[in-house]
Amino acid sequence: MSRLDAWFARGARQLARGTSRRGFLAWLGALVAGVAAAPLLPVARAGAVREPAPGEPDPGTPVGDPDDCAYWRYCAIDGFLASCCGGTHRSCPPGTEMSPLTWIGTCQNPVDGKHYVVSYNDCCGKNSCGRCFCQRNEGDKPVYIPNKSNDIDWCMGKAGVIYNSTVAVVIGVSTEKG
Amino acid sequence: MSRFSTLAAFACLFAATARAEDPRVDYMLQCQGCHLADGSGAPGAVPDLRGSLGRFLAVPGGREYLVRVPGAAQSALTDQRLAAVLDWMIREFGPEEAAADLEPYRAEEVAGWRAKPYAEVQTVRRELLSRIDARSAPSR
Repeated sequence: MSRLDAWFARGARQLARGTSRRGFLAWLGALVAGVAAAPLLPVARAGAVREPAPGEPDPGTPVGDPDDCAYWRYCAIDGFLASCCGGTHRSCPPGTEMSPLTWIGTCQNPVDGKHYVVSYNDCCGKNSCGRCFCQRNEGDKPVYIPNKSNDIDWCMGKAGVIYNSTVAVVIGVSTEKG
Repeated sequence: MSRFSTLAAFACLFAATARAEDPRVDYMLQCQGCHLADGSGAPGAVPDLRGSLGRFLAVPGGREYLVRVPGAAQSALTDQRLAAVLDWMIREFGPEEAAADLEPYRAEEVAGWRAKPYAEVQTVRRELLSRIDARSAPSR
């Protein structure tokens, strides 16, 4: 451990000796100014797209229709699309409540090729939506592996609450299909 | 030249920290659906992990319990990755003392225990919880 300490101490001293502090300030100032000015360049503006929400892929990229079963993030959905029932692909229709318990898998976004971690939360309310039924079962497993089965009604646990529809919320990025 | 090597060493340190997010994604994919992102679970159905998960390590049988519960033992993770997720969960959900004293799970011990998942997990759980209570009672 002390050898590691000594090694880092020596490295830090060499860094301090070998660099000019004023030179560093000048360099840092130029960097800050440069970063601030970069979006003003026409070339940067041409490439400017809306920033995605944390964990979400870029919403400005045309990757499909969230009301269509073929939309990439519905790769393992089994149910009615909340976006067809008065909600969106990320929020439940008014009058329904999102189940906290859910099943989670990954879907590959065709635009950036990344495997996003998607949570399929059921919207629970007084009636079933009945529109835009989608059944895509990538990664779906039989019910004896309950945490990977989309056949389960995740509105369970709340008495008298009926399955209405399903959302697909991106909660992270995985390095592999899961 | 040497200052670049020092910078490179720091860069490597940061790279190593960034890789540590893998167990978090495994937790998302294998556990979070029921245990939820913050470990709070569902009252009466899914145990709350916050401030309680690591307590099992302090009583006999607790260390293997966390591996032999159905969700862990029957998950699709390799022994190595299950060990990493358990370590991550104990550090994430605490309690802090347990996280500080944590002896990381080894893949071999995980392999041995998960081959014997509990059939009656509730019975074992009640027994362990009473041991945990008995252990913390005198200090009150």
